[in-house]
Amino acid sequence: MSSPTVIETMGLSKLYGRSHAVRNLNLTVRPNRITAFLGLNGAGKSTTIRMLLGMIMPSEGSGTVLGRRIDDPAESVALRRDVAYVSEDKRLYNYMTVEQMIRFTSGFVPGWREDVATALLRRYELPAGRKVRHLSKGMHTKLALLLAIARSPALLILDEPSEGLDPRGVEQLLETLVAQCAEGTSIFFSSHQIEEVERISDQVCVIHHGRLVMDAALDELRESWRRVDVVLPGGAHVGDFEMQGVERVHTRGKQMSVVASGNVDAIITRASESGATAIDVTPVGLREIFLQTIDLDTSGEN
Amino acid sequence: MLWYKVWLETRARFLISLVGMTALCAYRVYDGNHSASSSIPISYRYFILHSGQQLLSVMWLVAVTLLMMGGLLQEKVTGSASFTLALPVSRARMMKVRICAGLMQSALMIVVPWTAMYAASYFSGPAHSLDQVLFYVVLLAGGGAVFVGTALLISSLVEGTYTAPMISAGIVLACGNAPKSLAFLNPMDFIGGRDYLGPDNLSNGPIPWGHVAAYMSVAALLIVASVKVLERRDF
Repeated sequence: MSSPTVIETMGLSKLYGRSHAVRNLNLTVRPNRITAFLGLNGAGKSTTIRMLLGMIMPSEGSGTVLGRRIDDPAESVALRRDVAYVSEDKRLYNYMTVEQMIRFTSGFVPGWREDVATALLRRYELPAGRKVRHLSKGMHTKLALLLAIARSPALLILDEPSEGLDPRGVEQLLETLVAQCAEGTSIFFSSHQIEEVERISDQVCVIHHGRLVMDAALDELRESWRRVDVVLPGGAHVGDFEMQGVERVHTRGKQMSVVASGNVDAIITRASESGATAIDVTPVGLREIFLQTIDLDTSGEN
Repeated sequence: MLWYKVWLETRARFLISLVGMTALCAYRVYDGNHSASSSIPISYRYFILHSGQQLLSVMWLVAVTLLMMGGLLQEKVTGSASFTLALPVSRARMMKVRICAGLMQSALMIVVPWTAMYAASYFSGPAHSLDQVLFYVVLLAGGGAVFVGTALLISSLVEGTYTAPMISAGIVLACGNAPKSLAFLNPMDFIGGRDYLGPDNLSNGPIPWGHVAAYMSVAALLIVASVKVLERRDF
Protein backbone atom coordinates (compact mmCIF):
# COMPACT_ATOMS: atom_id res chain seq x y z
CA MET A 1 0.00 0.00 0.00
CA SER A 2 1.44 3.38 -0.95
CA SER A 3 1.84 6.12 1.65
CA PRO A 4 -0.94 8.75 1.65
CA THR A 5 1.68 11.48 1.28
CA VAL A 6 5.14 11.64 -0.25
CA ILE A 7 5.96 14.97 1.34
CA GLU A 8 4.46 16.37 4.50
CA THR A 9 5.69 19.33 6.51
CA MET A 10 4.36 20.48 9.84
CA GLY A 11 5.07 24.09 10.81
CA LEU A 12 8.33 24.01 8.88
CA SER A 13 10.31 27.22 9.28
CA LYS A 14 13.73 28.53 8.41
CA LEU A 15 15.12 31.69 9.89
CA TYR A 16 18.16 33.56 8.65
CA GLY A 17 18.91 36.05 11.36
CA ARG A 18 15.53 37.68 11.96
CA SER A 19 14.25 37.03 8.48
CA HIS A 20 11.97 34.09 7.75
CA ALA A 21 12.88 32.30 4.51
CA VAL A 22 10.14 29.75 5.24
CA ARG A 23 7.42 30.38 7.80
CA ASN A 24 5.24 27.74 9.42
CA LEU A 25 4.84 25.77 6.21
CA ASN A 26 2.28 22.97 6.21
CA LEU A 27 2.70 21.27 2.88
CA THR A 28 1.20 18.00 1.73
CA VAL A 29 2.21 16.34 -1.53
CA ARG A 30 0.29 13.26 -2.54
CA PRO A 31 1.78 10.33 -4.47
CA ASN A 32 1.53 9.46 -8.15
CA ARG A 33 0.90 12.97 -9.35
CA ILE A 34 2.80 15.97 -10.61
CA THR A 35 2.78 18.76 -8.06
CA ALA A 36 4.00 22.21 -9.03
CA PHE A 37 5.53 24.48 -6.43
CA LEU A 38 5.12 28.09 -7.48
CA GLY A 39 6.35 31.31 -5.98
CA LEU A 40 8.11 34.54 -6.79
CA ASN A 41 11.89 34.82 -6.49
CA GLY A 42 12.86 34.54 -2.84
CA ALA A 43 9.47 33.11 -1.85
CA GLY A 44 11.14 30.13 -0.14
CA LYS A 45 10.82 27.39 -2.77
CA SER A 46 14.48 26.37 -2.92
CA THR A 47 14.91 26.69 0.85
CA THR A 48 11.93 24.37 1.36
CA ILE A 49 13.30 21.83 -1.11
CA ARG A 50 16.73 21.97 0.51
CA MET A 51 15.21 21.37 3.92
CA LEU A 52 13.33 18.36 2.53
CA LEU A 53 16.63 16.89 1.35
CA GLY A 54 18.62 17.59 4.51
CA MET A 55 20.83 20.27 2.98
CA ILE A 56 19.43 22.89 5.35
CA MET A 57 18.30 22.16 8.90
CA PRO A 58 14.88 23.59 9.78
CA SER A 59 14.80 26.27 12.48
CA GLU A 60 11.40 25.06 13.63
CA GLY A 61 8.87 22.42 12.70
CA SER A 62 9.47 19.13 11.02
CA GLY A 63 8.55 17.10 8.00
CA THR A 64 8.68 13.75 6.31
CA VAL A 65 9.57 12.63 2.82
CA LEU A 66 8.37 9.14 1.89
CA GLY A 67 7.59 8.66 5.56
CA ARG A 68 11.11 9.48 6.77
CA ARG A 69 11.94 12.45 8.95
CA ILE A 70 13.89 15.19 7.21
CA ASP A 71 15.57 16.44 10.39
CA ASP A 72 17.10 13.07 11.30
CA PRO A 73 20.48 12.67 9.55
CA ALA A 74 20.23 8.87 9.27
CA GLU A 75 16.68 9.00 7.92
CA SER A 76 17.68 11.78 5.56
CA VAL A 77 20.32 9.51 4.00
CA ALA A 78 17.76 6.71 3.73
CA LEU A 79 15.14 8.92 2.06
CA ARG A 80 17.68 10.13 -0.50
CA ARG A 81 17.96 6.54 -1.77
CA ASP A 82 14.42 6.85 -3.10
CA VAL A 83 14.43 10.52 -4.03
CA ALA A 84 16.16 12.01 -7.04
CA TYR A 85 16.82 15.73 -7.14
CA VAL A 86 17.69 18.16 -9.87
CA SER A 87 18.74 21.43 -8.32
CA GLU A 88 18.32 24.95 -9.58
CA ASP A 89 22.07 25.03 -10.13
CA LYS A 90 22.59 22.10 -12.46
CA ARG A 91 26.37 22.21 -12.53
CA LEU A 92 28.06 18.88 -11.94
CA TYR A 93 31.66 17.73 -11.52
CA ASN A 94 33.71 19.60 -14.09
CA TYR A 95 36.57 17.11 -13.87
CA MET A 96 34.42 14.13 -14.89
CA THR A 97 33.22 13.10 -18.32
CA VAL A 98 29.54 12.43 -18.98
CA GLU A 99 30.26 8.70 -18.86
CA GLN A 100 32.12 9.03 -15.55
CA MET A 101 29.24 11.03 -14.07
CA ILE A 102 26.84 8.24 -15.03
CA ARG A 103 29.13 5.53 -13.64
CA PHE A 104 29.65 7.51 -10.43
CA THR A 105 25.95 8.15 -9.81
CA SER A 106 24.88 4.61 -10.67
CA GLY A 107 27.19 3.32 -7.92
CA PHE A 108 24.93 4.81 -5.23
CA VAL A 109 21.64 3.52 -6.57
CA PRO A 110 20.61 -0.14 -6.35
CA GLY A 111 17.71 0.39 -8.76
CA TRP A 112 19.75 2.18 -11.41
CA ARG A 113 18.16 1.75 -14.87
CA GLU A 114 21.00 1.31 -17.33
CA ASP A 115 18.50 1.01 -20.19
CA VAL A 116 16.93 4.35 -19.24
CA ALA A 117 20.35 6.01 -18.96
CA THR A 118 21.38 4.70 -22.39
CA ALA A 119 18.09 5.75 -23.98
CA LEU A 120 18.25 9.26 -22.49
CA LEU A 121 21.91 9.63 -23.42
CA ARG A 122 20.90 9.01 -27.02
CA ARG A 123 17.71 11.07 -26.85
CA TYR A 124 19.41 14.08 -25.30
CA GLU A 125 22.39 13.67 -27.68
CA LEU A 126 24.89 13.88 -24.84
CA PRO A 127 28.52 13.14 -25.76
CA ALA A 128 29.59 10.36 -23.36
CA GLY A 129 33.31 11.09 -23.55
CA ARG A 130 33.13 14.86 -23.14
CA LYS A 131 34.18 16.52 -19.91
CA VAL A 132 31.32 18.14 -17.99
CA ARG A 133 33.18 21.47 -18.05
CA HIS A 134 32.84 21.50 -21.83
CA LEU A 135 29.07 20.95 -21.88
CA SER A 136 26.64 23.76 -22.71
CA LYS A 137 24.15 24.95 -20.08
CA GLY A 138 21.37 22.99 -21.76
CA MET A 139 23.49 19.84 -21.78
CA HIS A 140 24.22 20.29 -18.07
CA THR A 141 20.49 20.35 -17.45
CA LYS A 142 19.90 17.29 -19.63
CA LEU A 143 22.67 15.35 -17.91
CA ALA A 144 21.29 16.27 -14.48
CA LEU A 145 17.86 15.04 -15.62
CA LEU A 146 19.33 11.81 -16.97
CA LEU A 147 21.12 11.15 -13.67
CA ALA A 148 17.89 11.75 -11.76
CA ILE A 149 15.51 9.80 -13.97
CA ALA A 150 17.74 6.73 -14.45
CA ARG A 151 17.64 6.25 -10.67
CA SER A 152 13.97 5.23 -11.08
CA PRO A 153 13.11 7.15 -7.92
CA ALA A 154 9.86 6.99 -5.99
CA LEU A 155 9.93 10.78 -5.82
CA LEU A 156 11.54 13.20 -8.24
CA ILE A 157 12.16 16.72 -6.95
CA LEU A 158 13.13 19.34 -9.50
CA ASP A 159 14.01 22.97 -8.92
CA GLU A 160 13.44 25.03 -12.07
CA PRO A 161 14.05 22.02 -14.33
CA SER A 162 13.50 23.77 -17.65
CA GLU A 163 15.93 26.59 -16.99
CA GLY A 164 18.60 26.64 -19.68
CA LEU A 165 16.73 24.34 -22.05
CA ASP A 166 15.79 25.31 -25.59
CA PRO A 167 12.14 24.83 -26.69
CA ARG A 168 12.88 21.32 -27.95
CA GLY A 169 14.58 20.45 -24.67
CA VAL A 170 11.59 21.78 -22.75
CA GLU A 171 9.28 19.58 -24.80
CA GLN A 172 11.47 16.54 -24.11
CA LEU A 173 11.51 17.40 -20.42
CA LEU A 174 7.74 17.74 -20.15
CA GLU A 175 7.20 14.48 -22.04
CA THR A 176 9.70 12.73 -19.78
CA LEU A 177 8.04 14.01 -16.62
CA VAL A 178 4.59 12.92 -17.73
CA ALA A 179 5.97 9.49 -18.69
CA GLN A 180 7.77 9.17 -15.35
CA CYS A 181 4.58 10.01 -13.48
CA ALA A 182 2.69 7.43 -15.52
CA GLU A 183 5.26 4.85 -14.41
CA GLY A 184 4.53 5.63 -10.76
CA THR A 185 7.04 8.32 -9.87
CA SER A 186 5.68 11.21 -7.83
CA ILE A 187 6.99 14.52 -9.09
CA PHE A 188 7.39 17.74 -7.14
CA PHE A 189 8.84 20.65 -9.07
CA SER A 190 9.28 24.36 -8.72
CA SER A 191 9.02 26.59 -11.74
CA HIS A 192 8.49 30.11 -12.95
CA GLN A 193 7.20 28.83 -16.27
CA ILE A 194 3.46 28.91 -15.67
CA GLU A 195 2.63 27.56 -19.12
CA GLU A 196 4.68 24.44 -18.41
CA VAL A 197 3.04 24.03 -15.02
CA GLU A 198 -0.38 24.37 -16.61
CA ARG A 199 0.42 21.70 -19.17
CA ILE A 200 1.58 18.90 -16.90
CA SER A 201 0.62 19.53 -13.28
CA ASP A 202 -2.10 17.82 -11.31
CA GLN A 203 -1.68 19.89 -8.16
CA VAL A 204 -0.47 23.43 -7.62
CA CYS A 205 1.04 24.78 -4.41
CA VAL A 206 1.89 28.47 -4.13
CA ILE A 207 4.32 29.82 -1.58
CA HIS A 208 4.66 33.52 -0.81
CA HIS A 209 6.97 35.11 1.74
CA GLY A 210 7.68 31.61 3.06
CA ARG A 211 4.02 30.72 3.64
CA LEU A 212 1.78 28.38 1.70
CA VAL A 213 -0.99 30.48 0.19
CA MET A 214 -2.55 27.96 -2.16
CA ASP A 215 -2.77 24.18 -2.43
CA ALA A 216 -5.29 23.04 -5.01
CA ALA A 217 -5.79 20.60 -7.84
CA LEU A 218 -5.27 22.26 -11.20
CA ASP A 219 -8.56 20.88 -12.52
CA GLU A 220 -10.41 22.40 -9.57
CA LEU A 221 -8.76 25.74 -10.21
CA ARG A 222 -9.73 25.61 -13.86
CA GLU A 223 -13.24 24.63 -12.91
CA SER A 224 -13.81 27.21 -10.20
CA TRP A 225 -11.92 30.36 -11.25
CA ARG A 226 -13.79 32.61 -13.64
CA ARG A 227 -13.67 36.15 -14.89
CA VAL A 228 -17.10 37.78 -15.12
CA ASP A 229 -17.16 40.91 -17.30
CA VAL A 230 -20.33 42.90 -17.01
CA VAL A 231 -21.64 46.13 -18.47
CA LEU A 232 -23.74 48.13 -16.02
CA PRO A 233 -25.43 51.15 -17.70
CA GLY A 234 -26.46 52.51 -14.32
CA GLY A 235 -22.89 52.55 -13.08
CA ALA A 236 -20.84 49.96 -11.24
CA HIS A 237 -20.83 49.70 -7.47
CA VAL A 238 -17.96 47.59 -6.20
CA GLY A 239 -19.67 47.08 -2.87
CA ASP A 240 -22.48 45.17 -4.56
CA PHE A 241 -20.05 42.44 -5.48
CA GLU A 242 -18.35 41.95 -2.13
CA MET A 243 -19.37 38.34 -1.67
CA GLN A 244 -17.86 34.93 -1.12
CA GLY A 245 -15.56 33.78 -3.94
CA VAL A 246 -14.86 37.24 -5.33
CA GLU A 247 -11.11 37.79 -5.38
CA ARG A 248 -10.86 41.05 -7.27
CA VAL A 249 -13.22 43.65 -8.71
CA HIS A 250 -12.03 46.11 -11.30
CA THR A 251 -14.23 48.89 -12.67
CA ARG A 252 -13.81 51.18 -15.62
CA GLY A 253 -16.73 53.44 -16.33
CA LYS A 254 -19.76 51.26 -16.89
CA GLN A 255 -17.67 48.12 -17.21
CA MET A 256 -16.85 45.86 -14.35
CA SER A 257 -14.56 42.88 -14.26
CA VAL A 258 -14.90 40.39 -11.42
CA VAL A 259 -12.32 37.66 -10.88
CA ALA A 260 -13.77 34.90 -8.74
CA SER A 261 -12.50 31.66 -7.31
CA GLY A 262 -16.05 30.34 -6.99
CA ASN A 263 -19.70 31.29 -6.46
CA VAL A 264 -19.92 32.42 -10.09
CA ASP A 265 -23.67 31.78 -10.35
CA ALA A 266 -24.32 34.17 -7.46
CA ILE A 267 -22.13 36.82 -9.12
CA ILE A 268 -24.07 36.47 -12.37
CA THR A 269 -27.35 36.73 -10.47
CA ARG A 270 -26.13 39.85 -8.65
CA ALA A 271 -25.02 41.36 -11.98
CA SER A 272 -28.44 40.69 -13.50
CA GLU A 273 -30.16 42.23 -10.48
CA SER A 274 -27.95 45.29 -10.85
CA GLY A 275 -29.20 45.77 -14.40
CA ALA A 276 -26.29 44.41 -16.36
CA THR A 277 -26.86 44.59 -20.11
CA ALA A 278 -24.01 42.19 -20.94
CA ILE A 279 -22.45 39.40 -18.93
CA ASP A 280 -19.44 37.54 -20.24
CA VAL A 281 -17.96 34.62 -18.27
CA THR A 282 -14.49 33.36 -19.27
CA PRO A 283 -12.00 30.94 -17.70
CA VAL A 284 -9.01 32.35 -15.85
CA GLY A 285 -5.51 31.12 -16.66
CA LEU A 286 -3.11 29.85 -14.04
CA ARG A 287 -0.86 32.89 -14.50
CA GLU A 288 -3.66 35.19 -13.40
CA ILE A 289 -4.71 32.89 -10.57
CA PHE A 290 -1.13 32.82 -9.35
CA LEU A 291 -0.66 36.58 -9.52
CA GLN A 292 -4.05 37.16 -7.93
CA THR A 293 -3.22 34.83 -5.07
CA ILE A 294 0.11 36.54 -4.48
CA ASP A 295 -1.47 40.02 -4.61
CA LEU A 296 -4.20 39.00 -2.21
CA ASP A 297 -1.67 37.63 0.23
CA THR A 298 0.44 40.77 -0.03
CA SER A 299 -2.56 43.05 0.56
CA GLY A 300 -3.61 40.82 3.47
CA GLU A 301 -0.15 41.23 5.02
CA ASN A 302 -0.32 44.98 4.60
CA MET B 1 32.40 5.45 -5.64
CA LEU B 2 33.38 8.27 -3.27
CA TRP B 3 36.99 7.09 -3.60
CA TYR B 4 36.57 7.21 -7.36
CA LYS B 5 35.31 10.80 -7.10
CA VAL B 6 38.11 11.92 -4.79
CA TRP B 7 40.69 10.33 -7.06
CA LEU B 8 39.32 12.03 -10.19
CA GLU B 9 39.06 15.31 -8.32
CA THR B 10 42.60 15.32 -6.93
CA ARG B 11 44.67 13.19 -9.27
CA ALA B 12 46.01 16.05 -11.40
CA ARG B 13 47.09 18.07 -8.34
CA PHE B 14 48.48 14.97 -6.65
CA LEU B 15 50.40 13.52 -9.59
CA ILE B 16 51.88 16.85 -10.66
CA SER B 17 52.97 17.52 -7.07
CA LEU B 18 54.37 14.03 -6.59
CA VAL B 19 56.34 13.94 -9.83
CA GLY B 20 57.59 17.51 -9.43
CA MET B 21 58.67 17.03 -5.82
CA THR B 22 60.33 13.70 -6.52
CA ALA B 23 62.26 15.04 -9.51
CA LEU B 24 63.38 18.23 -7.76
CA CYS B 25 64.39 16.48 -4.55
CA ALA B 26 66.32 13.76 -6.40
CA TYR B 27 68.09 16.37 -8.52
CA ARG B 28 68.94 18.45 -5.46
CA VAL B 29 70.63 15.48 -3.80
CA TYR B 30 72.35 14.31 -7.00
CA ASP B 31 73.55 17.83 -7.79
CA GLY B 32 74.53 18.38 -4.17
CA ASN B 33 76.99 15.49 -4.40
CA HIS B 34 78.85 17.16 -7.25
CA SER B 35 78.88 20.67 -5.80
CA ALA B 36 79.22 19.92 -2.09
CA SER B 37 81.69 17.03 -2.21
CA SER B 38 84.47 19.14 -3.78
CA SER B 39 84.22 22.10 -1.41
CA ILE B 40 82.65 20.84 1.80
CA PRO B 41 82.91 17.04 1.67
CA ILE B 42 82.32 16.57 5.38
CA SER B 43 78.98 18.31 5.11
CA TYR B 44 77.60 16.20 2.33
CA ARG B 45 75.51 13.92 4.52
CA TYR B 46 74.20 16.89 6.42
CA PHE B 47 73.56 18.65 3.15
CA ILE B 48 71.45 15.88 1.65
CA LEU B 49 69.63 15.22 4.87
CA HIS B 50 68.97 18.76 5.90
CA SER B 51 68.75 20.54 2.56
CA GLY B 52 66.75 17.74 0.99
CA GLN B 53 64.33 17.73 3.90
CA GLN B 54 64.03 21.51 3.76
CA LEU B 55 63.24 21.52 0.06
CA LEU B 56 60.81 18.64 0.43
CA SER B 57 59.10 20.25 3.42
CA VAL B 58 58.44 23.53 1.64
CA MET B 59 57.08 21.80 -1.46
CA TRP B 60 55.12 19.31 0.62
CA LEU B 61 53.42 22.03 2.66
CA VAL B 62 52.38 23.86 -0.50
CA ALA B 63 51.18 20.60 -2.06
CA VAL B 64 49.11 19.42 0.92
CA THR B 65 47.61 22.88 1.33
CA LEU B 66 46.38 22.74 -2.25
CA LEU B 67 45.44 19.07 -2.02
CA MET B 68 43.27 19.51 1.06
CA MET B 69 41.33 22.33 -0.57
CA GLY B 70 38.10 21.19 -2.17
CA GLY B 71 35.23 19.38 -0.53
CA LEU B 72 31.67 20.55 -0.12
CA LEU B 73 32.36 24.25 0.44
CA GLN B 74 34.44 24.40 -2.70
CA GLU B 75 31.68 22.51 -4.52
CA LYS B 76 29.24 25.14 -3.30
CA VAL B 77 31.33 27.71 -5.14
CA THR B 78 31.58 25.60 -8.29
CA GLY B 79 27.88 24.72 -8.15
CA SER B 80 28.00 20.95 -7.71
CA ALA B 81 27.34 20.79 -3.94
CA SER B 82 23.59 20.27 -4.43
CA PHE B 83 24.24 17.21 -6.55
CA THR B 84 26.68 15.76 -4.01
CA LEU B 85 24.43 16.44 -1.04
CA ALA B 86 21.46 14.79 -2.75
CA LEU B 87 23.36 11.48 -2.94
CA PRO B 88 22.35 8.90 -0.36
CA VAL B 89 25.54 9.36 1.62
CA SER B 90 26.14 11.12 4.93
CA ARG B 91 28.39 14.16 5.03
CA ALA B 92 30.57 12.42 7.60
CA ARG B 93 31.21 9.54 5.20
CA MET B 94 32.07 11.92 2.39
CA MET B 95 34.51 13.69 4.68
CA LYS B 96 36.07 10.45 5.91
CA VAL B 97 36.83 9.33 2.37
CA ARG B 98 38.27 12.72 1.52
CA ILE B 99 40.40 12.79 4.68
CA CYS B 100 41.68 9.23 4.19
CA ALA B 101 42.54 9.90 0.56
CA GLY B 102 44.24 13.17 1.53
CA LEU B 103 46.29 11.52 4.25
CA MET B 104 47.36 8.69 1.94
CA GLN B 105 48.36 11.12 -0.78
CA SER B 106 50.21 13.29 1.75
CA ALA B 107 52.07 10.23 3.03
CA LEU B 108 53.02 9.17 -0.50
CA MET B 109 54.34 12.68 -1.11
CA ILE B 110 56.78 12.13 1.74
CA VAL B 111 57.78 8.53 1.08
CA VAL B 112 58.28 8.69 -2.70
CA PRO B 113 60.49 11.83 -2.79
CA TRP B 114 62.55 10.56 0.16
CA THR B 115 62.98 7.21 -1.58
CA ALA B 116 64.16 9.09 -4.66
CA MET B 117 66.57 11.19 -2.56
CA TYR B 118 67.94 8.08 -0.89
CA ALA B 119 68.40 6.35 -4.25
CA ALA B 120 70.07 9.45 -5.74
CA SER B 121 72.50 9.74 -2.85
CA TYR B 122 73.16 5.99 -2.92
CA PHE B 123 74.09 6.04 -6.59
CA SER B 124 75.90 9.37 -6.63
CA GLY B 125 78.08 9.26 -3.56
CA PRO B 126 78.13 8.68 0.18
CA ALA B 127 74.68 7.52 1.19
CA HIS B 128 73.15 8.31 4.53
CA SER B 129 71.55 5.61 6.62
CA LEU B 130 67.96 4.45 6.27
CA ASP B 131 67.47 5.25 9.96
CA GLN B 132 68.23 8.89 9.26
CA VAL B 133 65.77 8.90 6.38
CA LEU B 134 63.12 7.32 8.58
CA PHE B 135 63.83 9.94 11.25
CA TYR B 136 63.07 12.79 8.85
CA VAL B 137 60.07 11.00 7.38
CA VAL B 138 58.55 10.73 10.84
CA LEU B 139 59.28 14.39 11.62
CA LEU B 140 57.63 15.53 8.40
CA ALA B 141 54.63 13.23 8.81
CA GLY B 142 54.14 14.19 12.48
CA GLY B 143 54.60 17.94 12.20
CA GLY B 144 53.03 18.07 8.74
CA ALA B 145 49.83 16.44 9.96
CA VAL B 146 49.04 19.71 11.77
CA PHE B 147 49.14 21.56 8.45
CA VAL B 148 46.97 18.89 6.80
CA GLY B 149 44.39 19.33 9.57
CA THR B 150 44.62 23.12 9.38
CA ALA B 151 44.07 23.15 5.61
CA LEU B 152 41.12 20.78 5.99
CA LEU B 153 39.50 22.90 8.71
CA ILE B 154 39.95 26.09 6.72
CA SER B 155 38.47 24.44 3.63
CA SER B 156 35.44 23.55 5.81
CA LEU B 157 35.07 27.05 7.23
CA VAL B 158 35.95 29.44 4.45
CA GLU B 159 34.16 29.74 1.11
CA GLY B 160 35.81 30.97 -2.06
CA THR B 161 38.13 29.50 -4.62
CA TYR B 162 41.15 31.50 -3.52
CA THR B 163 40.32 32.61 0.02
CA ALA B 164 40.80 29.23 1.73
CA PRO B 165 44.16 28.39 0.10
CA MET B 166 45.39 31.96 0.76
CA ILE B 167 44.54 31.68 4.47
CA SER B 168 46.14 28.23 4.68
CA ALA B 169 49.26 29.50 2.93
CA GLY B 170 49.29 32.47 5.31
CA ILE B 171 49.31 30.14 8.31
CA VAL B 172 52.20 28.15 6.81
CA LEU B 173 54.11 31.41 6.23
CA ALA B 174 53.37 32.62 9.75
CA CYS B 175 54.71 29.36 11.18
CA GLY B 176 57.80 29.68 8.97
CA ASN B 177 58.47 33.15 10.38
CA ALA B 178 57.40 32.55 13.99
CA PRO B 179 59.72 33.81 16.77
CA LYS B 180 62.37 31.36 17.90
CA SER B 181 61.00 31.54 21.43
CA LEU B 182 57.94 29.68 20.18
CA ALA B 183 59.96 27.02 18.38
CA PHE B 184 58.87 24.31 20.82
CA LEU B 185 55.27 24.90 19.73
CA ASN B 186 55.97 25.31 16.05
CA PRO B 187 55.45 22.25 13.86
CA MET B 188 57.50 23.94 11.15
CA ASP B 189 60.61 23.90 13.35
CA PHE B 190 59.87 20.31 14.30
CA ILE B 191 59.71 19.27 10.64
CA GLY B 192 63.13 20.86 9.95
CA GLY B 193 64.69 18.65 12.63
CA ARG B 194 67.36 21.18 13.63
CA ASP B 195 67.02 20.20 17.27
CA TYR B 196 67.84 16.60 16.52
CA LEU B 197 70.32 16.59 13.64
CA GLY B 198 72.92 19.19 12.67
CA PRO B 199 76.21 19.65 10.85
CA ASP B 200 78.10 18.36 13.89
CA ASN B 201 75.57 15.82 14.95
CA LEU B 202 74.68 13.42 12.16
CA SER B 203 73.89 10.43 14.31
CA ASN B 204 70.21 10.48 14.99
CA GLY B 205 68.93 9.56 18.40
CA PRO B 206 65.56 8.04 19.22
CA ILE B 207 62.60 9.40 17.30
CA PRO B 208 60.76 12.00 19.44
CA TRP B 209 57.54 10.03 19.58
CA GLY B 210 56.13 12.23 22.33
CA HIS B 211 56.28 15.30 20.10
CA VAL B 212 54.97 13.32 17.15
CA ALA B 213 52.02 12.10 19.21
CA ALA B 214 51.30 15.66 20.40
CA TYR B 215 51.26 17.05 16.86
CA MET B 216 49.20 14.09 15.63
CA SER B 217 46.68 14.77 18.41
CA VAL B 218 46.39 18.42 17.39
CA ALA B 219 45.91 17.28 13.77
CA ALA B 220 43.23 14.79 14.84
CA LEU B 221 41.37 17.55 16.73
CA LEU B 222 41.49 19.81 13.69
CA ILE B 223 40.19 17.00 11.47
CA VAL B 224 37.34 16.10 13.84
CA ALA B 225 36.44 19.81 14.11
CA SER B 226 36.28 20.12 10.32
CA VAL B 227 33.93 17.10 10.09
CA LYS B 228 31.68 18.56 12.81
CA VAL B 229 31.63 21.98 11.15
CA LEU B 230 30.61 20.51 7.83
CA GLU B 231 27.96 18.25 9.35
CA ARG B 232 26.18 21.24 10.87
CA ARG B 233 26.50 23.60 7.96
CA ASP B 234 23.55 24.66 5.79
CA PHE B 235 24.00 24.40 2.04
